[in-house]
Amino acid sequence: MIRDWTFAKILNTGPGTSIRDLGRSGFASYGVPKSGPADLIAYSWNNLILKNKPGAAQLEIMHPGFKVQFLAPTLISLAGPTAEIKLNKQPIKPHGIHEINYGDYLEIGKFELGAIIYLGIRDGFQSEEVLRSRSQYPGITKRYFVKKSDEIPYFTNQEIPFYPKSSTVKWKTDYLHQETIRVYPGPEWNQLAKIQQKTLLTQPFHVSEMKNSMAVQLDELIPNTLMQMASAPVFPGTVQLTPGGKLLCLLQDCQVTGGYPRLLQVHEEDHGILVQKKPGQCIRFRQ
Amino acid sequence: MVELKPHINQITPNWTELTWPIKMVGKYLAHRIACENWLLSAFEKEIVEIRAGYQSSSIIWSSTPDLPFLKETLARFEVNSTEVECRIWRIPVCYEPAYGKDLHALAKAKRILPEELIHLHSRQSYQLIFYGFLPGFMYLSGLDPLLSQPRKSIPDRVIQAGSVAIGGDQTGIYPMESPGGWHVIGRTPIPFFDPKNNPPVWAKPGDEIRFYAISSSEFEYLETVPTPLAPL
Repeated sequence: MIRDWTFAKILNTGPGTSIRDLGRSGFASYGVPKSGPADLIAYSWNNLILKNKPGAAQLEIMHPGFKVQFLAPTLISLAGPTAEIKLNKQPIKPHGIHEINYGDYLEIGKFELGAIIYLGIRDGFQSEEVLRSRSQYPGITKRYFVKKSDEIPYFTNQEIPFYPKSSTVKWKTDYLHQETIRVYPGPEWNQLAKIQQKTLLTQPFHVSEMKNSMAVQLDELIPNTLMQMASAPVFPGTVQLTPGGKLLCLLQDCQVTGGYPRLLQVHEEDHGILVQKKPGQCIRFRQ
Repeated sequence: MVELKPHINQITPNWTELTWPIKMVGKYLAHRIACENWLLSAFEKEIVEIRAGYQSSSIIWSSTPDLPFLKETLARFEVNSTEVECRIWRIPVCYEPAYGKDLHALAKAKRILPEELIHLHSRQSYQLIFYGFLPGFMYLSGLDPLLSQPRKSIPDRVIQAGSVAIGGDQTGIYPMESPGGWHVIGRTPIPFFDPKNNPPVWAKPGDEIRFYAISSSEFEYLETVPTPLAPL
């Protein structure tokens, strides 16, 4: 099989674009964050329909204005929000497989629904692998975030790969409309008064502007009457209560330990619902 | 002797948390580490990773564990068998103003001389409890209570890699450049995290960390000619 090395040239990008695979497992005891995909649902779907390995690296794109040129033929797949996508200036469907030829341009415009688009590629992007993952993280990979004029390697066979056009699994955007997020009670859940527990599981919460790859803060206040605690293990999906009474939902790049009470733990399958919400959108926790 | 049996809490199908009634530092730390090692050997294939805090250890399983069997295994763990290797590492630190930008202000706030602050910081032996906050960031216990100082209300935008700092009742070393609210009292030329190595760190929980003062010219020498660090 021909497997030539080629590049995807980043012509333009907003902040927050990064390379992701399933992240780093087994290094947390050295303080290394997981750095998996924020939305495992969209990420896994791309790799599935591209017939990639489950951990093939993709681009995680947070903002419109992204533009990339592929230097050689391949297949790509898009998943996540519905968005205005153009291939060589022609609008194309926002989800699923697209054929890429020499020098093709892909542009991502306005996001209609959701916050993070995944761009998968046949066999995955072949960027630097550090501590068994290509996911970018400061101090671990040389680059943090993908920037304009970066060249990200991938493999090409010098022709568009064959793929069965009829058998593709349909991308479902239902979860992007969903408000309910399933949770487990966290280690400090029992320190809350019954009334506080009830509030947490009934009232709606709104996603604030304070959002990055480490955490998203929610707007509503929960009076914090809990005792101070010593730093303890935390994970992506841990919902902490800050001293100021704000809920902080930890995401894929979060620290491995934290000093705030851990009230809830989001179901792994529901992380995608949370991360795809934009500031101002509503979520509800359900046990 | 405190009852050292951990409370077992199944948080999610894959996350079990062991919680002890006290902070597992000082003479109790070896117990936590031995307990983790015991579980890692008993469930070698089933455990994805263990991450620890002061009072708890979290076990991540590849699939939902058999809780009664886990309890039974923990019960067979001998409290006496807590021999844990402890190595001692001596870390060179330049406390001069070029590297310890907050040292003078901190000494002033503590109403001591900068030399006394350096002495109080470098005469202690610190115990490595766990890694957290940043890759390779050590949670160290043993700071002289005289040096304890609340974090800055407005964190610095950039703290240089290698910075040795004090925050609350802790001291620590920033392994990489990061924003941070701790008071920087010096800097070490020794790298604390190298992603090219596996493991990327050289010390283990339970090890002892000591600091000794070096001049800026020694700092520059060690920075140019990296000298491998060896335990005492």
